[in-house]
Amino acid sequence: MPRPLRVIAATFALLLVTACNSASSGGTAPSSVRGVTADSIRVGGIVSMTTASGYSKKDTDLGARARYDRANAEGGINGRRIEYLGAEDDGQDPARNLAAARRLVQQDKVFAVSPMSSVTFAGAGFLDAQKVPTVGWGTLPSFCGPAHLYGFNGCLVPTPGGTLNQTWPEGLAAVLGGARGKSVALIAGDNDAGKFGIRTFTQGFKAAGFQVAYAKAAVPATSMPSDWSAYTKEILRSGPGGRAPDAVVSVMQTPYNIGLFTALKRSGYKGVISDPTDYDPGLLAKDATKQALDGVHVLLQFQPFESDSPAMRQFKADIRKAAGGKDVPLNMHAMTGYMSADLFLSIAAKAGKDLTVESFQKAAAGFSDTGTLVGDRAEPKGQKESFGCGALVRLKNGRYEVAVPFRCYPPIPFG
Amino acid sequence: MGDLLGFVLSGLVSGALYALLATGLVLSSSASGLFNFAHGATAYLCALAFYELHSGFGWPAVPTALLLVCVVAPGLGWGLDRLMFRKLAGVGETAQIVATIGLLVALPAAGLWVVELLERAGAPVQPAENQFGLPGVGPSPAVSWQPLDGVGIDSDQLITWIATALAAAGLWILMRHTRLGLRLRAAVDNRALTELRGISADRLSSTAWMLSSGLAGLAGVLATPLLGLSAHDYTLFLFVSATAAVLGRFASVPLAFAGGLGLGVLQNLVAGYASFAEDITGFRTAVPFLILFAGLLVLGRRRRRAAGTAAADPPPAEYLAGKGWGRRWGAWLVAGVLLGTAFYTVTTPFWSGILAQGLAIGLVFMSFTVVTGLGAMVSLAQGTFVTGSALVAGLLMSHGWPFVAAAAAGTAAAALLGAVVALPALRLGGRSLALATLALAFLADQVLFQLGWLRNGDTGWEIPRPVAGPVDLGDDRAMGLALVLLSGVLVALLTRLRGSRWGRAMLAVRSAPEAAAASGVSVVRTKLLLFTVSAGLAGFGGVLYASYNTRITATDFTAMTGLVWLAVVVAAGVRRPQFAVVAGLVFAAAPHLLTTYVTESAHLPVILFGLAGLALANDPDGYCAALPSRLAARRAAKRAAVTGAVPSPRVAPGTVPPALAARGPATGTVPAPLVAGEGDRPSARTAGPCVVGAGDTGTGGGPREVPSALELSGVRAGYGGAPVLHGVDLAVRGGEVLVLLGPNGAGKSTLCRVAAGLLRPAGGLVRVRGEDATRDATVARARRGVRLAPEGRGIFAGLSIDDNLALQLTAAEDRDAVYARFPALAARRTVAAGSLSGGEQQLLALAPLLQRPPAVLVADEPSLGLAPRVVDEVFHLLTELRDHGTALLLVEEKAAEVLGIADTVAYLAQGEIAWSGPRSEVDRERLAEAYLGTGVRR
Repeated sequence: MPRPLRVIAATFALLLVTACNSASSGGTAPSSVRGVTADSIRVGGIVSMTTASGYSKKDTDLGARARYDRANAEGGINGRRIEYLGAEDDGQDPARNLAAARRLVQQDKVFAVSPMSSVTFAGAGFLDAQKVPTVGWGTLPSFCGPAHLYGFNGCLVPTPGGTLNQTWPEGLAAVLGGARGKSVALIAGDNDAGKFGIRTFTQGFKAAGFQVAYAKAAVPATSMPSDWSAYTKEILRSGPGGRAPDAVVSVMQTPYNIGLFTALKRSGYKGVISDPTDYDPGLLAKDATKQALDGVHVLLQFQPFESDSPAMRQFKADIRKAAGGKDVPLNMHAMTGYMSADLFLSIAAKAGKDLTVESFQKAAAGFSDTGTLVGDRAEPKGQKESFGCGALVRLKNGRYEVAVPFRCYPPIPFG
Repeated sequence: MGDLLGFVLSGLVSGALYALLATGLVLSSSASGLFNFAHGATAYLCALAFYELHSGFGWPAVPTALLLVCVVAPGLGWGLDRLMFRKLAGVGETAQIVATIGLLVALPAAGLWVVELLERAGAPVQPAENQFGLPGVGPSPAVSWQPLDGVGIDSDQLITWIATALAAAGLWILMRHTRLGLRLRAAVDNRALTELRGISADRLSSTAWMLSSGLAGLAGVLATPLLGLSAHDYTLFLFVSATAAVLGRFASVPLAFAGGLGLGVLQNLVAGYASFAEDITGFRTAVPFLILFAGLLVLGRRRRRAAGTAAADPPPAEYLAGKGWGRRWGAWLVAGVLLGTAFYTVTTPFWSGILAQGLAIGLVFMSFTVVTGLGAMVSLAQGTFVTGSALVAGLLMSHGWPFVAAAAAGTAAAALLGAVVALPALRLGGRSLALATLALAFLADQVLFQLGWLRNGDTGWEIPRPVAGPVDLGDDRAMGLALVLLSGVLVALLTRLRGSRWGRAMLAVRSAPEAAAASGVSVVRTKLLLFTVSAGLAGFGGVLYASYNTRITATDFTAMTGLVWLAVVVAAGVRRPQFAVVAGLVFAAAPHLLTTYVTESAHLPVILFGLAGLALANDPDGYCAALPSRLAARRAAKRAAVTGAVPSPRVAPGTVPPALAARGPATGTVPAPLVAGEGDRPSARTAGPCVVGAGDTGTGGGPREVPSALELSGVRAGYGGAPVLHGVDLAVRGGEVLVLLGPNGAGKSTLCRVAAGLLRPAGGLVRVRGEDATRDATVARARRGVRLAPEGRGIFAGLSIDDNLALQLTAAEDRDAVYARFPALAARRTVAAGSLSGGEQQLLALAPLLQRPPAVLVADEPSLGLAPRVVDEVFHLLTELRDHGTALLLVEEKAAEVLGIADTVAYLAQGEIAWSGPRSEVDRERLAEAYLGTGVRR
């Protein structure tokens, strides 16, 4: 190694060793609370809006804005306005997700991140380590456990030893007039997530008294089949005595469901069809989706837009206002944003005038309320399990109807 | 049975789409010699346009579809060809692959951006996100029928079949029964030879691109109801259909088409009957990629290409060659020091994090320097190595392993994976290798990384930042500084490696595997080692990158990530490890700089990134290398202008000299450029005094009334700054035979190339029938009546005898006349010309010329490799041509037979005409002198 290089390397190494001291001493609490001033609380969001798959959750941002706007119109939280910076687009890219989290915390100095809704949450570790209260859609394991991360309707990923949310089996049992003697077919994509889904729902449906006639993670998960006959044939022969099962439950995304349900109906299937993703009034705009989803029972884990509770009326009014007075189609992403903001605001309000991360966490630790759009909320229970509330809606003649009203079900142990 | 029929019939639907895409791939690949990764993006763009125009603007479906498929998509193809692919045809394969990867992300983003702009302008566009169940050309929702029990079809499927069948029929008629089709097939078979026949390959390539894009557009419109508006799905669909293109070996349209159909059916059958593999998570998902991989292996073996390297992209002239250590490394060292210091002085915590991230990803990027930069192999599986290594490290750390040990184990695991991936690399080359690694990357994503114990669900594994004694890398600044040091060490190691015995062995394997093997370098071991080292490096970088993130999940780095990475690294430059560091920093920082200072739009940065591929067409070695060498060239030019020194080399820095490939294998390959060593080194030799050229004999005594049919005067030419011809004078008149003799390496083939317009001379004049033709390209020269019968056989090996003749003889009676004269050809007119014997091939090459004699025929070693009896026949034909008035320039190494038909003889030695004169003055002594190079020049 040439001499100057050696000197530089040594200097840097020295710097590295001494730097650690500053690193470890840098952990002391700052004098002022990040993102909180006498009259404002700064909040950011992370949402996947532009993606190569054409799937976007951008209405999450609208929902959050609607909720924060109302909070500000009502005078803020303990006298502090919410300064919502809008959501950063992570494009479903883990690197961008982390960068967005870093930017919000280090550059924009937000107190909290709410909403966070994406298929990836690479920023979770960073946000938790930096003690940033974060609320989002708890479909990812990161929302289950870390102290500062909260799912707006709880943690939706069951963990062994934890509990399993029974909304779906119980709801379908209500549709079928009881689970006894009824058979159900479960189908999912051929990947680890699909396998996991099959495993959890098999347990859930069995516990509810169903006979699980077919449970396979068999559909190619990245390239959608153009032909579903291979799957429908097997499903339709899977019930007792080679008959069709009473219900077919799909744990897949919308495009897959459209193909599967169309094929099922063409083969003359008359039983109950159900899935957890297709509650999107936007889908009714297309004739093909309207036809494919007609009669399908869709699971949702919040109050259906069709219900007429005061909270729902308020939600619709808030969204309308935030959208500039226009009637925009409602969807679950708007609900995600709205209720993520709502959970943050509710806990922050409980934390009192002296808002710090510590006071927020303390308020969260004993937080509970009832009768919200996502049912009865409680922390820290929500960091381990789902709030366990849901409804089934059914698409009929181009409109969603409430098939099983929104309510909360007791969970069962998962293992 | 009903099941089976149903599976087959509906499998034909996706099969039809595969077939359309695969056919387009074959067309574009044969036009420009590249695998168009952006083909699916073109399809997506058309689907998007169809949706917006039909559903948004309310245009009627069928006319909109026709407009898109017949006008817009071909227009896009034409534009891309003119702007990009035509230029890329000349650069190395790596740059080509990367440019199309750039388009793969840029085209969809551009489409969405246009939608965004239109929306802002108040146009009635529909949002492009979350759209499902889109209407296609037919009724929506589709009408369905059940013609047989258990077999159902719907209107969308029917339309797909009919449209595909029509497209297939149209293509078949075009390719088989039109002149354009014949020319296209000829260009596919042998592009260079097409040009020698006076047919513009560039124009054909534009046509092929238009056809290819039109087919992609058709597939896009047809697939709209199935795939919706997911650019990602279109690209995946394309990768699957690549299998069919592989079946067609990127050359045969019918094979690719049939392959596509078969693939759809096979996939459906597997879905229907693969219950045996139910326990393997991801098996069904991975079926298309299994088929792709298997297809590549099977077909790759049959292909006679042992190279195993992408394309031996020649290295650019190194302007720092021979400079001192300080000059080479000073700037990098200063940059490193500044960066390291910046962490503790100027950068904000956010930027410290971003820079540390950039350095971490730079470590991964260095693995490309090894496999692609040094080994010239395109690996698209680097993301797999990163994921594999980080998952293993995370798994071990969860069991309490310390960071260093876990990182080492992860690196080893990645290296092992690399060795597994390398196995196909040993026999595949070029785009086949790239596709094979891509298929493996997808297989790993879909099967290997679905293993529950390895991936740990969506949670993944925690990889905390390392802490060693007083050094705690939990702080971004410390992490950044450590990474600067680590990058420095790795750059030094890799640079050493390149210069080491092993690095030289790799360079040898890369440029000439046979020669390397002959000199005792094991090709297999070298490549295996290379891949392994690269994978290990990627894995090591991956563990550090994951520790920057503090967590790894199985979906963090997918096969598509690897694709984008390659593009980012190659755009920066893949030949030096320090460029990879720059690429990493740019990759991490550029998005933030763009959003902060340039644009809020999410699409624009993506478009810009994709267009970086365009820059590669000009600077195939990336911006890191191009910037300084351009500066250096400018300085050199300025200096030269000041001192008035010799003109700077013709080849601009950054552009690549013509491939210095080895003299092509016997069949089919035409004017192989000279091997570097064959062209004489100019060394210390000064140009000799004026030689007596053949031109002098023409002007000296003979009658002056006829201008020479072909005349070269003072021609100097060479390759990439290595001169081969040093002022050659030659002239040949109609009805005359000039025989050019000379030993191996004298520059005979170069002279032929200059005569045919394949190589533009650096100085001197070329006249054809008295007119200046120096600046002609090949096609223009051919149209002036100059024909080159290249060394080897000047035929299209893949085309039938009839096609070969029809290319030059449009009139049927001309062909009949040829058949009448050569009954051997007549008997086998539908047989592929490549299956003829050498002599018959040479006859086939000459036969049409007899029918339509050209003004000038330049024949490069017409007797090479022929039996004596056949040689006589060939020479007889050549005399006949002369009698028709053609001027013949015959180049031969062996003098004996050819002298019999010569009027004039010239000796070429070391790039100069050593002697020339009438045949009568040739004697044995002169011949011997000419060959031995003794005494002739003085």
